Amino acid sequence: MKIKLLFAALVFLAQQGMAQEWLVPEDQKSVQNPSEYNLDNVKKGKDLYLQSCKSCHGDPGKNNALPLVPPPPDFTSDIMQANTDGELFYKITHGRGGMPQFETTISEDDRWRLVNYIRNFNPENEPVLVEEPPKKAKILASVNEEQRQVEVFAEYQDKDSNYVVLAETPISIGAKKAFGTLPIGQVLTNDEGRAEYHIPESLIGDEQGMVTLVIDLGEGFINEDVVLDAAKVGQPKPTPKLIQKEVLWSTNENIQVWLLLSYLAAVLGAWGTIGYVVFLIFKISRAGKQE
Amino acid sequence: MEKTKSPEESRKLLDKITFDLTRSIVKRDELTRFWYFILIMFAGVGLWGWGIQIRDGLGVTGMRDYVSWGMYIANFVFFVAISLIGFLISSALHLLKIKWSHPISRVAEQVAIAGVALAGIIIINDMGRPDRFLNVFLHGRFASPIIWDVTVVTTYLTISVLLYYLPLIPDLALIRDRGGDDIPTWKMKVYKIMALGWKGNAEQYKLVYHAMRILMILIIPVGLSIHTVTSWLFAATLRSGWDTTIFGPYFVAGAFVAGAAAVVILMYAYRVRYRLGEYFEDLHFDYMGKLLVFVCLVYLYFNINEFWVPAYKMKTAEGIHLRNLFVGSFAPMFWWTQMTGLILPIFLMLFRFFRKPLPLTIISVFVLIASWLKRYIIVIPTMEHPFLPVQNVPDYFKHYSPTSIEIMITLFSFMAALLIITVLAKMFPVITIWEYAEEKGIDKKILAEPKK
Ligand code: HEC
Repeated sequence: MKIKLLFAALVFLAQQGMAQEWLVPEDQKSVQNPSEYNLDNVKKGKDLYLQSCKSCHGDPGKNNALPLVPPPPDFTSDIMQANTDGELFYKITHGRGGMPQFETTISEDDRWRLVNYIRNFNPENEPVLVEEPPKKAKILASVNEEQRQVEVFAEYQDKDSNYVVLAETPISIGAKKAFGTLPIGQVLTNDEGRAEYHIPESLIGDEQGMVTLVIDLGEGFINEDVVLDAAKVGQPKPTPKLIQKEVLWSTNENIQVWLLLSYLAAVLGAWGTIGYVVFLIFKISRAGKQE
Repeated sequence: MEKTKSPEESRKLLDKITFDLTRSIVKRDELTRFWYFILIMFAGVGLWGWGIQIRDGLGVTGMRDYVSWGMYIANFVFFVAISLIGFLISSALHLLKIKWSHPISRVAEQVAIAGVALAGIIIINDMGRPDRFLNVFLHGRFASPIIWDVTVVTTYLTISVLLYYLPLIPDLALIRDRGGDDIPTWKMKVYKIMALGWKGNAEQYKLVYHAMRILMILIIPVGLSIHTVTSWLFAATLRSGWDTTIFGPYFVAGAFVAGAAAVVILMYAYRVRYRLGEYFEDLHFDYMGKLLVFVCLVYLYFNINEFWVPAYKMKTAEGIHLRNLFVGSFAPMFWWTQMTGLILPIFLMLFRFFRKPLPLTIISVFVLIASWLKRYIIVIPTMEHPFLPVQNVPDYFKHYSPTSIEIMITLFSFMAALLIITVLAKMFPVITIWEYAEEKGIDKKILAEPKK
């Protein structure tokens, strides 16, 4: 109960937008990490990180987190590493303010693996997962409307700065939407660096079924995203016809005819009569000049 | 109508009537100046507040995302309401050939003009960007009650002005021809122009009667629509408290209550200030009292329907709203308006004593205040209870209370309305002289006679 109250108070403070110290109950601080610090666990932690955390915390070491208040710390930062394992676990479990809770979405084991992954960046630790420096790469891609497929050819720059085919590498295919790229699938290149991706039937495009496809390489490569010209490979987007129907409260384009006519008739009737009265006033004036 | 008097008698009487009824035009004393000073000063303070609002935006008001209609809209509905009395007294009662109301017509028309003119201005008050007002006409939707409201307000204003002006023409000619020497010359010049060369021949009278009759008939549908459409601004939504089918007649009935009270107050002011006791007689107050009781009863009937039917069912959202009115934070205001705006006045005005000028005027002041508060209660409590839960917003988003700028601007609207009425009363007779003279048995020929 006490913890809950404290937690509620913390959430409240976090909502005020102040970077208050994040207090973790004493007994939670010293909890030991039950999962072993090894390549397997760290790799799993990395996968989880890419799925659930990267969108806010950014790429480790690049300090490119989302600009939230308070900001999500970089995983390599001192703020992050100053936590004990128990503290990290507690914070990931319960969240605070902009940091969501993961108690209900990520299993306990996996949350500990995330702690392992964070520790991979601790200067006191021997890193078990060493990322190779990213390689430069190039993608060529085109879309075939009839066969509803994307054809990709990928190359990367090897140590001698020569471009060579990129074999057996996952290529991600996405569709450009209003608020970013929607991932629709992945395909592996073959030995010649080529891949063919079949666009699923269920993909929904714009009103005409046009889709703008985005082709990208995964982690570890530096390349420019290939954004293809919009192609007719999706289902037309069903648009709700609500305001397009002639209803009482429609826009002028869809106004019900009788309503428009009644309005205009009333306005014309009233103002026509007013005009007639003004005319009568002129007549009054003229009638005075006679005789 | 009294039987025709002899020319001698008529001339004497007409001189007296003209003298009495032009007293408001002639009178210029310290009190007049002081009154003008008060009106202009307060109106000026309000305009200054409006300047601040235009500079800093609507954020200076108490209105936020949820309560986006505040005191201005309540005030707007109030002014539309009082303007409706013009059509009841100067048209409906006229067409029903009810004689006692004739001297009151012009007072009612003054209230109508001031009310509806200010209603239009208040709507612009409520806009954060008044410079975009024309967009209502350029990009308005014909299917929107807001367009209908703008249309009908301007139409009603035009008709009211014409209905004020037409019966004024013979009066202006009368003052032009036989007005006292103490009327300022610039006013005389204005009368001369506005009288349109009135000679008082049969042809001209025929035209005036004809035109007035047309306007009186036209103003009935327009008058009914102005307040019905105003009620639709609310009733065409799904909000609890507004989502009701009787809002049209409910508003119209309430409007007559407010307007009748305003007319009584004005009548009393003229009676005392311009010594018009012989014109606004006890009898007129008595009848106005009876009219007020009648419209109050109609309004009470609508109120009972409006609150009792949903209160019997207490649907979820409606229940929250009603409890808020009956026993919640709006209860004091709600019961005050019901008691002092309807129930007590109805009860008191059943007695002849309370229909005497002074008691009736005091009652009318209470009724008028209550009808203003009533509009406040119609607008704000509903706004404070949107259907979607209000979350993650500062506390002052959830409750509305007007800021001092809003109160200043509202004060401006009252002062501006009084200013319009004052200018009208100072410029033109407050009772139609020729109609009155005719009823007293003075022949039309004598009206057209120039001063000896
Ligand atoms: C919606 C954005 C968002 C996501 C997704 C997110 N975080 Fe956070 N994280 C934040 C923010 C914001 C903070 C800072 C919170 C504060 O200090 O109040 C934070 C803080 C933290 C902290 C505490 C750092 C400290 O101050 O000691 C840890 C640990 C953490 N996040 C881990 C994770 C992990 C692991 C994941 C993925 C499972 C994740 N976060 C996903 C936004 C996010």
